[in-house]
Amino acid sequence: MAETFSSLLHGFSIALTPINLLWGFIGVLLGTFVGVLPGVGPALTVAMLMPLTVKLEATGALIMFAGIYYGAMYGGSTTTILLNTPGESASIATALEGNLMAKKGRAGPALATCAIGSFVAGTIATILVTLLAPVVVEVALQFGPAEYFALMVFAFTTVSAVIGSSTVRGLTSLFLGLLLGVVGIDSQTGRSRFAFGVPELLDGIDVVVLAVGLFAVGEALYVAAYASRLHEKLEQLKGSLWMSKEDWKRSLPAWLRATFIGFPFGSIPAGGAEIPTFLSYATEKKLSKHPEEFGKGAIEGVAGPEAANNASVTGALVPLLTLGIPTSATAAILLSAFQNYGIQPGPLLFQMQGDLVWALLASLYIGNVLLLILNLPLIGIWVKVLTIPKPLLYAGILVFATLGAYSLHQSLVDLVILYVFGLLGFVMRRSNIPVAPAVIGLILGPLAETQARRALAISQGDPAVFVTQPISAGILLVAFLLLVVPVVIRTRRRI
Amino acid sequence: MKAKPTELALSLGVLGLGIAAVIGAANISGGSGYARVGPNVAPAVISGGLIVLGIWLLYEAFSGGWRNAIPDQPQDRGEHPFSAGAFIWVSLGLFAQMLLIHRAGFVIAQAALFTFVARGFGSKKLARDFAIGLALGLAVFLFFVKFLNVHLPAGWFEPLLGGAGI
Repeated sequence: MAETFSSLLHGFSIALTPINLLWGFIGVLLGTFVGVLPGVGPALTVAMLMPLTVKLEATGALIMFAGIYYGAMYGGSTTTILLNTPGESASIATALEGNLMAKKGRAGPALATCAIGSFVAGTIATILVTLLAPVVVEVALQFGPAEYFALMVFAFTTVSAVIGSSTVRGLTSLFLGLLLGVVGIDSQTGRSRFAFGVPELLDGIDVVVLAVGLFAVGEALYVAAYASRLHEKLEQLKGSLWMSKEDWKRSLPAWLRATFIGFPFGSIPAGGAEIPTFLSYATEKKLSKHPEEFGKGAIEGVAGPEAANNASVTGALVPLLTLGIPTSATAAILLSAFQNYGIQPGPLLFQMQGDLVWALLASLYIGNVLLLILNLPLIGIWVKVLTIPKPLLYAGILVFATLGAYSLHQSLVDLVILYVFGLLGFVMRRSNIPVAPAVIGLILGPLAETQARRALAISQGDPAVFVTQPISAGILLVAFLLLVVPVVIRTRRRI
Repeated sequence: MKAKPTELALSLGVLGLGIAAVIGAANISGGSGYARVGPNVAPAVISGGLIVLGIWLLYEAFSGGWRNAIPDQPQDRGEHPFSAGAFIWVSLGLFAQMLLIHRAGFVIAQAALFTFVARGFGSKKLARDFAIGLALGLAVFLFFVKFLNVHLPAGWFEPLLGGAGI
């Protein structure tokens, strides 16, 4: 504990240098600006802003990413409340009551409870990450390849099969991502796989290209085809921004409860932020002294889900940093940003590059504070961003999103692949196939393959290695049950 | 029971992709002797998974449709009917970008993309859109080339921007 504290203090001493503080500041500002844009979720925000960090050294870049990560989420909730267009599934619960509050002229307090709730939940969750990460690292250092492989299979199951409306569609998306993940040179034998003689494919498919294709190009095609002629109503921001005493009294318990609902879901990893936001919504509705206000704009219904979202997203940093396992599309892109700097998150990272890890954790605290002091005063600017007409908005998004994908290798082939992924994203959105599992599968698949091959090399090719070791067998069993039980229950209910 | 055409096509697509990938995986040459798990094992497992999923999707399509599907009619989803024109304009924008970026350069390519996409979203002020796209492209170009030292093709602007650091 004392060691953790001194490490964290050291992290602060790195993160609080003026230049790193500046990167954090720019990150929060840009992250919020892009995150506010309707149709741009946090994953796309991080992917779009990635090229901006090319010039920074690793610590500065990661601090900027921490700012972007938080800014993007906060920006998304502003859009959700004022425009009622949730940019991601985790914002749907916030939209329920948030937009109703805005319709009643209470947009100010709704945005305030989001901002302060994000700060409270984010800070508590960051403390929990700080305390939990070194413990997980201790455990993870004992893990061999078989355990890692089992953990990754578990993550695959939770992100694809447990969340979302359909197990089979989630798995289909995951397997598409896994298939894309094997494209290119096999790192262990140097053989080329599924490259079809295209030299640009030998390096593999970049997760940024897939994310921009699915989230930006696919989204633009979909909105153009089905929603470009619709006019969403932008709620006005009138009256006081400040929360009344009553608002505080009703928000505070909701923030705290939601933090402890959201954090475990993010850190276990139990599949993203969507479930805890709805759990928090249901909890608040049940516990509220004003249940009649739900469905008419109850502030607890905004405070809870928003805090749960933030706590869960922060909690997701535990598996990302300590195990190298991303559990959301955004975390997958963060992982690829780490990899671009030659950093492979995992327990060894805490030992080999402790400075960097603790500076990153410290910058999460700073990011939360920056978010709070920047966003409420600047709310007028964010509202202006929402008035950009749709044609210019989506044209601008595509200009910047394609730039993000193109500038990686300055390759025409990437632009062609981007369009193909755009078509794929269109089809998936139209058919209600989730896209996040594909993004996670693309980046996590090759890592899982490496671990599986290592485990099999150690066991001299005996595949029983995954089920004879108790930890790995236990994790695989839980993953299997998570996959099978819901399907069985659903099938029996139908009969 | 009859399956919906789109669900049928997509289910068959997943199945077909799985079968193609199995054949592709079989053609990946095996690893060297000492590697116990060759480079073709993971592709084989993944393509096998896709085949199973394709069959599962087909089964759902023929037994009452994909579960928890979103409504087929755009109106029921709160959207307007499919606008082929809008879809094509956005696609044309991306094709124009591919065609232009290594010929006319980054700035023109992004301006063309901007104009086409704005047109797809219903804008009628093409000259204005092109001007905005041009300004945006130029600003991004200068920022990336001058400040971030990222190479972007100057194209037709070479004489003007040639000294911009490429």
